[in-house]
Amino acid sequence: MSALISTVRASLSYRGREGHWLWLLHRVSGLGVLLFLILHVAGMSSAFISIEIHDRLLEMYKTPLFSIGELALAFGLIFHAVNGTRIAILELKPELWQKQQLATRLAIIIVVLLAAPTIIIMALGSINAFFGPAAGH
Amino acid sequence: MIKVHLKIKRFNPEKDKKPWWGEYDVEVEPTDRVLDAIHEVKWNIDGTLALRRSCAHGVCGSDAMRINGRNRLACHRLIRDEIQNGQITIEPLLGLRVIKDLIVDMEPFFAHYRSIMPYLVNDTDPGPRERLQSPEDRARFDDTTKCILCAACTTSCPSFWARGEYVGPAAIVQAHRFIFDSRDQGAAERLEVLGDSNGVWRCRTVFNCTEACPRGIEVTKAIGEVKQAIATGKVR
Repeated sequence: MSALISTVRASLSYRGREGHWLWLLHRVSGLGVLLFLILHVAGMSSAFISIEIHDRLLEMYKTPLFSIGELALAFGLIFHAVNGTRIAILELKPELWQKQQLATRLAIIIVVLLAAPTIIIMALGSINAFFGPAAGH
Repeated sequence: MIKVHLKIKRFNPEKDKKPWWGEYDVEVEPTDRVLDAIHEVKWNIDGTLALRRSCAHGVCGSDAMRINGRNRLACHRLIRDEIQNGQITIEPLLGLRVIKDLIVDMEPFFAHYRSIMPYLVNDTDPGPRERLQSPEDRARFDDTTKCILCAACTTSCPSFWARGEYVGPAAIVQAHRFIFDSRDQGAAERLEVLGDSNGVWRCRTVFNCTEACPRGIEVTKAIGEVKQAIATGKVR
């Protein structure tokens, strides 16, 4: 545990460049997606135990907190996929290392282009569900 | 002369329960090195400050430390390039045990260095003179001959912070220097060491090592080439 704490502390205190911060975000997004998968599998499995619990969980997924979580999940998935592709390309072609800053900028642009419309559409859907004419029905 | 506020992380395990910040005001030239400012503290303000330095000219690699959050050689960085709002923050390297103040225990680092056999392996008869090599073959590993074992790369690596058993970028750079040397015959043994669970595959291509290297070695590229050599079984 102390190794984990000291690593997290070091990761946050070291003033690395873009590669460092993207690595940190890659880890956080990876853990976030893993958390979703665990919740998802547990939620689906609950139907085998009790339909009531399953229905209650489905109701919980419709709360604002989980809607915000869905937005974070969409961003995390897109970021993790795009940044993972950047890392894989640089791993397979080490001679491209001098282009790594360009690769970083490109990855950020692609993430924004993919994540912005996705999140906006999802957020509008959630706002409509919570505050629109059909809210509460 | 300008006034610089130095914030130095201090820790004496014989006296202190946890690290604390020592704050000192010194007057130095903007073209002085950070090491000169630390000397000013050590020689004229607080002689108990402990640090390593030897040549003080970027060759021996003994004064690697974190300057404003990044691994640097104190003798390699000028005051004018590091001063931020009149202040410079100095801390010991991460990932190695602090012995006192800016001095860390380098033994784990050197143990990793020794593990990759950092010497020429060739039992064949060299003949009456030296082993010859073409300029092209020599150029293949030229970049990785520049390493001065300062540990700036290894201690900037998140994988090393998380797991001290990871051999680290410096040991891989040293291995690269011999693996791609046409005169060497120990590549298979080195690649075996680097191919295990604490070898090159712990590298996450973060590029902190490349950015930290005071000699400008293309560290991440060298690690990538060793990964490829392990994956393909070909040393090119």
